[in-house]
Amino acid sequence: MQNISRIYALSKRNIILRYKNSLVGFFWGFFKPLLYLMIFIAVFSKIPSNHIDNYILYVTSGLIFWFFFSNVTNQSVGSIIGSSGLIKSLNIPVIFFPLSEIIGELFNFVLTIVVFLIIMYWFGISYSPRLLMIIPCLLLFSLFSFGVTIFLSSINVFFRDVGILWTTIQPAIFYLTPIGYDEKFVPTIIARGNPIYYFIKLGRGIFHEPQLPPLDLWMQCTAIAVGTFLFGIFVFNKLKNQFISTI
Amino acid sequence: MSSGNLISFRNVSVSYWQNNVGIHSIKDLVTQRRNPFQSKPILRDISFDVSRGQSMGVLGRNGSGKSTLLRTIAGLVKPQEGTITINGTFAPILAIGAGLELELNGYENMELLLSLYGKSRKDTNAVRNIVDFSELSDEVLRMPAKRYSSGMLARLAFSISIANDADILIIDEVLAVGDQGFQAKCMDKIFQIKADGKTILFVSHAPAEVLKVCDTAILLDGGKLIAQGTAKDICAQYEQLF
Repeated sequence: MQNISRIYALSKRNIILRYKNSLVGFFWGFFKPLLYLMIFIAVFSKIPSNHIDNYILYVTSGLIFWFFFSNVTNQSVGSIIGSSGLIKSLNIPVIFFPLSEIIGELFNFVLTIVVFLIIMYWFGISYSPRLLMIIPCLLLFSLFSFGVTIFLSSINVFFRDVGILWTTIQPAIFYLTPIGYDEKFVPTIIARGNPIYYFIKLGRGIFHEPQLPPLDLWMQCTAIAVGTFLFGIFVFNKLKNQFISTI
Repeated sequence: MSSGNLISFRNVSVSYWQNNVGIHSIKDLVTQRRNPFQSKPILRDISFDVSRGQSMGVLGRNGSGKSTLLRTIAGLVKPQEGTITINGTFAPILAIGAGLELELNGYENMELLLSLYGKSRKDTNAVRNIVDFSELSDEVLRMPAKRYSSGMLARLAFSISIANDADILIIDEVLAVGDQGFQAKCMDKIFQIKADGKTILFVSHAPAEVLKVCDTAILLDGGKLIAQGTAKDICAQYEQLF
């Protein structure tokens, strides 16, 4: 119980800090996907072979999931280093710092998705109880993102250029994930080797496809999420006792 | 638990990874092809006891392992060898620059830290006590902590830390930056905490302060505990180090 209020306090701090010195605050979260949406409409929707029904819904549902992942990892890669003052004076589990980052971002995501669901009324979304499947999908994606996050943030303690490296390779991952264009534009072998592909496909499937995503896609996402999470925890546990000597 | 020892260290050793070859990037790691991290012993074979209500000073030169010892006591650093038994709760370590979130203002810091200690964040009483003790004005408390002077930071940190009714208060040279009035006020508060039967672990380079606050003391040198005993004896030995 005490730990829950601690995680709550840290998450709240993250939300306050994120928008502290900006004028429009939370709405920055919408501008980024909107800008990308416009780029995709301007460039990719003109390609004749890239014909997709409800293109705007297709792109936007992919983008909101992508930006959830991208925001979480970018913000939390430095979460352990950035909390050195607290880590050096208080005996609280270090894992709370990346964890509170992901909770802060989930809060953001929920607000985003409410706005998204309203706006997509004009772009062909059909409202039905199956949209609730977004909850298990988001839980899986969060578990995956958390695994990536604790891996990156703990390695980043020892090698500070992990953060820079991560922001550098992100555009590559982004364009190798079919978000603004049909899957056939990404070589199958690359798409299959890209874990984010499965989550984007799952999340987008719930909003865009007429049928719910097939069971085997759910299974694949579960396997990736659990595997990534366990790997992240493993690396984190190996390194955590030495954080304090390095930060 | 019996009323015996509050803190008990038995043959505790702590080592840190040290990066001797100056590798801070993956490029170096890949090109050097050797493990950049070496284990460096910081504390070696430390044993001591602190009983309930006793206050202990920790003395030693710079780099002798005092801060690491305090962090080990507080459970922030895990020892590689030895056993530690603790039968009490801790207030956060009071060290210069520790614990405060510089981007947040004074009130937000209070709320964050009170929650992290496990207190109710709606505890207006605690907040009022902090404000009163720190003597910082409302205007100052609404500023981000990054704009505070080091003395103001110490006031805020000290005031928040004592708002905690933990059994053990750890003070790591933080009083040096406050002005004379605040230092005197902190000393009074420390005596009051001591009178309440709490335990204080006190690091200072001023033997006079240690003598005032502590009953016993230990002296560290090069990560080893070279002497322990009454505060008076240890302070005398400390002065002979130089």
